[in-house]
Amino acid sequence: MPPAAHSPVKNMKAEDIRKPDMEKKGLIFDIQAFSVHDGPGCRTNVFLAGCPLQCKWCANPESWICKKHLMFAEKMCKYDHGCRACKDACPYGSIVITESEKPRINWEICKNCRTFECTGVCPNNVLKQCVKEYEPEELVSILRRDFNNWGAEGGVTFSGGDPMLQHEFLIEVLKDCRKWNIHTAIETSAYFPEEIFLQVMEYIHFAFIDVKNMDSIAHEMGTGVGNERILSNISALKASGWKGRLVLRQPTISGYNDSDENARQLIAFMQENDLFEVNLLKFHRLGTTKWEQLGKTYEYSDHGDMSDQRMKELQNIYLKANIACYIGDDTLF
Amino acid sequence: MNDAQSKIYDILKARGIDAENADGIKEEDIPEASERFSKLMEIYYSMKVTADMEIPYWYNRLWWENDGDILEVRRARAVGGAYAHSTPTVLPYEKLVMSKTKNFRGAFPFPWVCASFFNSLAESLMNEVDAPAESEADAVSVVGAGGGNVTESYGDIISIAKKFGMRKEEIPVLVKVSKYWEGISVEDISDKYAQMLPDYDQFKRNMDAVVVMFDSFAIPQGREVINYYMPLQYGFDRIIQLCDEKINETMGEAGEDGILGMSRGYYYAAMKEITAGLSKWCDNYGKRAEDLATREPDEEVRANYLEIAQVMHNVAHKRPSTFREALQMTLCCHLGVVNEDPQSGQSIGRLGQVLQPFYEKDMEDGITTDEEVIELLELYRIKITCIECFASAGVSGGVLSGNTFNNLSLGGQNYDGLSAVTPLEYLIVEAAMRAKTPQPTLSVLYDEKTPEDFLMKAAACTKLGMGFPAWMNNQTGMNFMLRQYGAEGMDLYDARAWCLGGCLESAPGCFMPLDYNGKVTMIPGGASPTCGTGIHFTGLPKILELVLTNGLDKRTGKQVFPPHNEKIDTYEQMVDLWKKYLDISNRIVNRINNMQMDIWRKYNMPAVNSLLKPDCFAKGQHIGNCGSRYNACINFESCGTITFINSLASIKKNVFDDRAFTLEEMTEALVNNFGFKTAYETNVFSPDFRESTESASKYDRIFAACIHAPKYGNADSYVDSLLKDYHMFMLHYLPTLRSYYGKPEYLCQISVSTHGPQGFVTLATPDGRLAGTTYSDGSVSAAAGTDKNGIYAIFESATVYDHSQNQNAQMNLKLHPSAVKGLSGTRKLLDVIRAYMRKGGFHVQFNVVGSDTLKEAQKEPDKYRDLMVRVAGFTQYWCEIGKPIQDEVIYRTEYDQA
Repeated sequence: MPPAAHSPVKNMKAEDIRKPDMEKKGLIFDIQAFSVHDGPGCRTNVFLAGCPLQCKWCANPESWICKKHLMFAEKMCKYDHGCRACKDACPYGSIVITESEKPRINWEICKNCRTFECTGVCPNNVLKQCVKEYEPEELVSILRRDFNNWGAEGGVTFSGGDPMLQHEFLIEVLKDCRKWNIHTAIETSAYFPEEIFLQVMEYIHFAFIDVKNMDSIAHEMGTGVGNERILSNISALKASGWKGRLVLRQPTISGYNDSDENARQLIAFMQENDLFEVNLLKFHRLGTTKWEQLGKTYEYSDHGDMSDQRMKELQNIYLKANIACYIGDDTLF
Repeated sequence: MNDAQSKIYDILKARGIDAENADGIKEEDIPEASERFSKLMEIYYSMKVTADMEIPYWYNRLWWENDGDILEVRRARAVGGAYAHSTPTVLPYEKLVMSKTKNFRGAFPFPWVCASFFNSLAESLMNEVDAPAESEADAVSVVGAGGGNVTESYGDIISIAKKFGMRKEEIPVLVKVSKYWEGISVEDISDKYAQMLPDYDQFKRNMDAVVVMFDSFAIPQGREVINYYMPLQYGFDRIIQLCDEKINETMGEAGEDGILGMSRGYYYAAMKEITAGLSKWCDNYGKRAEDLATREPDEEVRANYLEIAQVMHNVAHKRPSTFREALQMTLCCHLGVVNEDPQSGQSIGRLGQVLQPFYEKDMEDGITTDEEVIELLELYRIKITCIECFASAGVSGGVLSGNTFNNLSLGGQNYDGLSAVTPLEYLIVEAAMRAKTPQPTLSVLYDEKTPEDFLMKAAACTKLGMGFPAWMNNQTGMNFMLRQYGAEGMDLYDARAWCLGGCLESAPGCFMPLDYNGKVTMIPGGASPTCGTGIHFTGLPKILELVLTNGLDKRTGKQVFPPHNEKIDTYEQMVDLWKKYLDISNRIVNRINNMQMDIWRKYNMPAVNSLLKPDCFAKGQHIGNCGSRYNACINFESCGTITFINSLASIKKNVFDDRAFTLEEMTEALVNNFGFKTAYETNVFSPDFRESTESASKYDRIFAACIHAPKYGNADSYVDSLLKDYHMFMLHYLPTLRSYYGKPEYLCQISVSTHGPQGFVTLATPDGRLAGTTYSDGSVSAAAGTDKNGIYAIFESATVYDHSQNQNAQMNLKLHPSAVKGLSGTRKLLDVIRAYMRKGGFHVQFNVVGSDTLKEAQKEPDKYRDLMVRVAGFTQYWCEIGKPIQDEVIYRTEYDQA
């Protein structure tokens, strides 16, 4: 039985998101080639595990967990006449086969699993181990290989989760990127101590930083944390003389942050800090199945949708304030 | 550009950022095709594919009227005479005329090549003629099905080979003409002598088990590049004069060649016949157009007929003096060649370089415009799309899928080693973007010297989702040419003239000096016979299966190869047995295909093609007598490479490295299809569909281990190194096989459509593929759903060996349009292509999938397992997304495209 909690934040125990004791080994849940919307040119996008925020609308909830864990894609199970492979493989008795010949797992047992016996036996990858460990050199060798493919403008984008959560690993990799002249981009929440944040950004050429809500209380309700540290980090970055390019990002969700007032406040903040680019991402529900596969309930299954009309209205507000506002994938790189 | 966009540009400009030149810019709209094109395409869409007996009747009659004459002359008279008697059809909106037969989408049978198919059908065909016609309603209901294909008989039409419709009154002619050739067609004679071989039974067993698919005589020409030089340089009347001069010089003279020297005189006599036939054929079209003009009330249409008449009479006699005449001349010669044998893959070659001097002169003289040229090129596309190949059902459906692969190549290097791209080639791409037809397919010979704006234009065309241009590596192609044809004296100059013959068969060429417009231009063209017709599609995984089953085909219960009776203890021993079985198959299949082609070249030698192909005319020898400049062109065709390599990796890992289970246990699991019902039982052939039997759980462990074994396409050296080993073996092994030209053979990695039927006959394979389902496509594409590390990892895996070792390497990729939208998307697509080319990848082609496909994918998600969509910072597998979101994405994709 999946736990019956409603808030994703409450679903997650502290140890699930704590930075593990690993010496500069990176925990990565995906590496995507030919990524074309997350920075200039053709890129390789590295998704690092773990995130200091837990947004209720998150499309990658599996990325919150900064450790190896299980994903259970129940709907992918095709082998529904007599297969017991996963059940037989599990030494903890966590998997039972229901009367409808479908496997069912006990999340209370599975979430603490460190051995994942069940994942190598399923031909359909219904049970999948998320997150793999990489040495910095291992990741760099993949990036140097992919460097052959990016073309003149491309490079690597570090994404997540939030890649800064594993800042020690990240900085090791970034140092090598500088050494090899690899263009670097990052997608981050900026919710980190200023020192760490600036240290990472020193190696970054292009950044997307999310500002989800200008009202700190609303920010905390949606993401689990307030926005003060995020805003002060952005100001500190601008004040530091950083030479990179910064585009603020906002997943735009009806009833949460789509008000004129929120836009006006963000504009004021941007003008104070001499920022002129923002990217509004229309809310979508593509992550729904992932919540299910993690045994969680998705709060945004029936609300939050934005109309194209409203997106355009918001865009106009920014444009009038001389802020370049991009919708969706239309960011100009 | 909308208001928001221009405002964004202003804001960025104020900040010193020049965004006008950056991302997100929409490409220019593609103009509509010309009105003539649209009108003729309407006709095309309503036309059925026909077969008729006009040309076969005349060929047969003239052949027997000349009984006893020297064979090459007799053959040329029959071919040329048949063309001269072919009814010319001219349609009101045409500018370019001529077609294979009197019908728009016509073809005809060649009983002198292969008669058994028709003779075996004779009785049933005659019965159909006598049967009462179906009701009109029934007739109408069939017409709609399958595009232009006539899959069933209706009304007065009889379906042949499930594709061609033949009128009932022609059936007795077909039956009678075929009777003449009973026992003496190319097929029958070569089979008669093949039976003298002690291993003939082995050949039969190979073919029956479909270890090897299809015979050489089925399509003896094609997979080569045509050469238009002779008629463009001289014109037909002058060629006839040249023949007379050559007859004067060589008839009765052996020169230094005591075997073939005397043949030269007969060759020129034959060339005179065939040239006269082609000339008459053109004149007939001119006369037909004149005749139509006399009865045409509409002034504009009448003027058009008169223009056609003038062009056709000029083409019939003189060398072309305009671009239009030159294009018409190449079309005439192309049809002349494709009509003299059943064939597919007779490639047009680098047409935009061949015709550039004519285009250039017309533009200088101010007698044409780019728009007029584009219109002609659009109409040309219809003409090439109408080329049908009449072969047996197995060949046209199972192998060719109805396509005739008239490939047109662009780019590459010219004679001087500079970029060969011409202004005319931009218009060829433009015409293909406006006038959407399946043929001619386009191939870009990508070279570092190719201009960027041309590459961008070609990439924009690739994005339209038609699957072309495909992208070929020019340097890799040139290296292959020097490797394979160096022994025949190929130098760097000729290496630069290569291009694609057929879909992917790299074919040698040469440059010829075209004297036109007061200067000499070196124009490229083909310089070899067919670059195919060796050992045909051989199922590599099927041979591995037979190693595991001791040579016994479990599907049919027949012993295909002699039992090896070895207990297999090591991986190396198993691979050695595979090589041994492959060699048993190759030795006998090669000898018999050699005989098929030898009989063909003796009795059915190319006539038109032997006029065109250098150096036939210079040497005085037809293609069958090694008249072509290069003859080391015969290949071995593989099928299912990646299924085979993944299977080796699974066995190596599970059986020999991990010792998770024995080879006997693995084999038992394969024979029992891992405990699943076979595709033959369920009739579902999707690789992803599985239905268990009661014994399923018995093989759970083995099946999962097979699925999880290392797979090609993930930059995993464990399996990629096996691919490299395989290629190093083939590189040294295949040249030990000799073709009927006495030259070493080499590896060709096209499967066309044969990975379907060959997969059908193959049991489950150790990579986890189930019995009867298709093999992997291409030769370096990953097996569907097994590439987990993305496109760059596939590139890494694909280039673990030097692609110039082989005639080709086939990479098929799917991209979603959103990944390449706008001008920046075109650049990104070009980045991907360039990345692969820089690594030495030989070929890559793209499916840019649109929303129609997504709708299909929604109905049948299992077939689209590897399709991904990208929405706002997040990529997901299509089949893992719920239907409501899918609907939204479908809607949005269409919106984006508007």
